Amino acid sequence: MKYLEELNKAMQLLAENGYYFIGQSVKFQGNAIYHTIKNLPIDKRIELPVQEEMQMGISAGMTLEGLKVCSIFPRFDFILRGMDSLVNHLDKVKYMSDGQFLLKGLIIRTAIGSNNPIMPGCQHTQDYTEALKLMCKHIKVVKLEKAEDILSAYQEAMNSDVPTFIIEIPELYNQDLKQDFIEARKKLIA
Amino acid sequence: MVRVNWINEKLREFEDWCIKTYEEGKIKAPLHLSRGNEKQLIEIFKKIDKKDWVFSTYRSHYHALLHGINEDWLKNWILEGKSIHVMNKEHKFFTSAIVGGCLPIALGVALALKLKKSKDYVWIFAGDMTATLGLMHDIIKFAHYNNLPINFVIENNGFSTDTPTGQAWGSGDFIPITLPRFENIICYNYKRELPHYGIGKFVTFKEEK
Repeated sequence: MKYLEELNKAMQLLAENGYYFIGQSVKFQGNAIYHTIKNLPIDKRIELPVQEEMQMGISAGMTLEGLKVCSIFPRFDFILRGMDSLVNHLDKVKYMSDGQFLLKGLIIRTAIGSNNPIMPGCQHTQDYTEALKLMCKHIKVVKLEKAEDILSAYQEAMNSDVPTFIIEIPELYNQDLKQDFIEARKKLIA
Repeated sequence: MVRVNWINEKLREFEDWCIKTYEEGKIKAPLHLSRGNEKQLIEIFKKIDKKDWVFSTYRSHYHALLHGINEDWLKNWILEGKSIHVMNKEHKFFTSAIVGGCLPIALGVALALKLKKSKDYVWIFAGDMTATLGLMHDIIKFAHYNNLPINFVIENNGFSTDTPTGQAWGSGDFIPITLPRFENIICYNYKRELPHYGIGKFVTFKEEK
């Protein structure tokens, strides 16, 4: 069982269930996550500005109106720019509304920046999983350590009454994307 | 489908109840009252359909009532100490106690309404400090370029909590609201009659036995 294949399966499952994929590099190449959604319907992928607080809130708002959302933040480090929306709102909406407003099936997807094959520096490689678990009282925080966990994690997230924050580890699948990266680079240069 | 039946005096009567109940020590939570903007809000709410979403702030009693939320329901919510975040799903009424916190959520609802080809609208109420923040400009820009069904109402009382908004920015006692002149942005001024929260005097809370 390969990490990348399981991620692809999970994204396919979300697409089959009507999910929108929103964030940076969801329509245009630019990071590892893009390669796991590039074959999904283009009308379900919504490219957004690099404004993480806005993106996090948009994710919640779309979900409040009944849409299914997988909100993609290419690196965990970037999530910190959206922490107000995440901690003060996504995490608290159910509690603040006495359970009236639920963010059903909302998925926040991010990745811990890889140090391999290049070292992108300390602002692109942090893992804040434990800190996030301490800050969030209601949302589910799931780190995908093994390929075997991926599909079930996304299945659970789809059916959850509260948002699920899913963290993946590109170091476990970067090598499998080597050919995709080469082809994408060729296309960009051409 | 306009359904405003509140009049100026009735709204103030509601706030009178809040003041009296707070003074009696029965509301053990922050209370942010309006006062002074009744007329403006009554006019604005004539444009808001009952199916529309309304996003507001920690100061939301008038918005809630004018959007059709039951008076007794709201009183009960306030007595439970939750005035700071009034939420009502039936009336699509959503608030946040964080300055600017509702903006991106409202934007997301508006994006969803467009994707669903709905005819409903989103209305977002924000104060003058929020209106001067970068996030507000980002939200307006995204809504504009994507032609989203959202209207912005800026309620300018010149204060951010009890600090003059202009003083915080270094512009003196006044700061202009420099938002684009779009049709979906309404701005009104009013003079606040009460402090940021509370009723302007100390209240003694009795210990429960």
